[in-house]
Amino acid sequence: MNDADVFERIRSLLGEKALELTHPAPRRIFLKVDPKDLTAAMAVLRKELGFTFVSTISGVDLGESFEILYHMANEVTNLNVRTQVPRSHPHVDSICSVIPGAILYEREIQEMFGLVVDNIPDGRRLLLSDDWPEGQYPMRKDWVHQRPEEKIPGGKS
Amino acid sequence: MKYSVPIGPQHPALKEPISLRMTLDGEVIQDADIRLGYNHRGVEKVAEGKTYLQNIYLTERICGICSHSHSTCFVQGVEKLLEVEPPRRGVFIRYLVSELERVHSHLLWLGVAAHEAGFDSLFMYVWRDRELIMDLLEMISGNRVHYAINTLGGVRRDLDEGQVKKILDSLALLRKQSEYYLNIGAHEPSFVGRLAGVGLLTKEQAVDLCAVGPTARASDVPIDVRKDDPYGMYGETPFEVCTADTCDVLGRTVVRIKEVLVSYDIIEHLMRNLPAGPVAIRTPRRPKPGEAVARYEAPRGENIHYIKSNGTDKPERLKVRAPTLGNYAATVEMLKSGFLADIPLIFAAIDPCICCAERTATLVDARTGEEKTVNFSTLRALARERWKNAPLKKDAVWPF
Repeated sequence: MNDADVFERIRSLLGEKALELTHPAPRRIFLKVDPKDLTAAMAVLRKELGFTFVSTISGVDLGESFEILYHMANEVTNLNVRTQVPRSHPHVDSICSVIPGAILYEREIQEMFGLVVDNIPDGRRLLLSDDWPEGQYPMRKDWVHQRPEEKIPGGKS
Repeated sequence: MKYSVPIGPQHPALKEPISLRMTLDGEVIQDADIRLGYNHRGVEKVAEGKTYLQNIYLTERICGICSHSHSTCFVQGVEKLLEVEPPRRGVFIRYLVSELERVHSHLLWLGVAAHEAGFDSLFMYVWRDRELIMDLLEMISGNRVHYAINTLGGVRRDLDEGQVKKILDSLALLRKQSEYYLNIGAHEPSFVGRLAGVGLLTKEQAVDLCAVGPTARASDVPIDVRKDDPYGMYGETPFEVCTADTCDVLGRTVVRIKEVLVSYDIIEHLMRNLPAGPVAIRTPRRPKPGEAVARYEAPRGENIHYIKSNGTDKPERLKVRAPTLGNYAATVEMLKSGFLADIPLIFAAIDPCICCAERTATLVDARTGEEKTVNFSTLRALARERWKNAPLKKDAVWPF
């Protein structure tokens, strides 16, 4: 089996659920699904095509919506499953029931983009400090880092 | 009676300092909890404000051991976006540095593992050998750590005849010495016995928790990006993927040793077949809008960069996943039902950077709440103490 076969299998397995399916380079497949179909699609891909491995999950701030990319791989190809959620209601379902190794990446996008991962087994903070203010999501495009004002004890002489 | 033991969080030498909170019953670890972010530098955010050329040097500084792997992965992705192919001589030199880096990282790791297992003479021998590689890297690039050899469309420095000869000479010496020292390791039953059966991670767990690199390969999961998704000249270079089926620290040691020997073969192949020609080409500085996924087999496992361009000279988004992060979920499983005294060894089996850190663990007595701070050498002394009475596989043998 090579990447072209995988591409055809995905097309036949997912059918209508595959909103976009492209194969722009060797061993690179991009698939777009609706957020509500995500977990079901992952389960099919894992069972039928052996996509057991999630490399990481990327979030992209598109302005009105967020794009979430699940970079996956089996032994012949890389597959990037993308989905979009609106900024006003940024909810996505957890894929940990299908691929338990995704937990750290889901925790990461939760705090970096302010996404809410529903049914996540463990949703505590992973990277940001415990005293990080609520509602600040550093990887959003409208978040700008401001260095706190320097305070020198006793003042500058 | 249960104890809660925080390990970390400060590991100044790690790119990702880590805090693990162990729940202990007696000496046996019941549960481990993970907390990251103590040295989060916001590299992905910074990268959005820098040009592609500047980002090569930024990504190189993600890690101090496998610095070349990040810059190469980034450059691979940007070259795809720019739709350029580096010349073949440039490709060979780029992946020559990759393989030298893999050898130096694995030898460093082997020394650390020997040190944690209480076999300090192997540690010193191996690290002496590693200096040969460091000298080669300094000769090729001018630097020992951040080689800065990559650029868009090739590499920045060429090799001459004398340098090729020096690499081959050092390689012959290194191969001889490595085999000799590995024999010492193989014939030292206490070393093998200390590693066998520690930090178990079954094949199913390794697959489910998405472990990468030598950690996964030691659990008999044959994933290697160089084979599965060949980049550069790996598609035409003969080499084999090294695995072990013991699923423990011994397996991780064996896999890394085999990989060092495979890397020597790859380096020799590259040097014997080095093509003539330029090492770099001029490239445009602004890619068209698009996206690219670059994958690279770093010494510790798969490294992946996702780059999205928007038509300007700065990336819209750069996502980096270093291999160590991919192994943290598996680390928690390895630690469970292990012993407190095995923590240094299991840790060292995942991440070679641990060596430089003088780590502090605070032991908290759950009943009285009294805290006792022990340093890393005390923890290691505990490890040696336990080995004396260890119920482990004392009859384990070196598998090759």
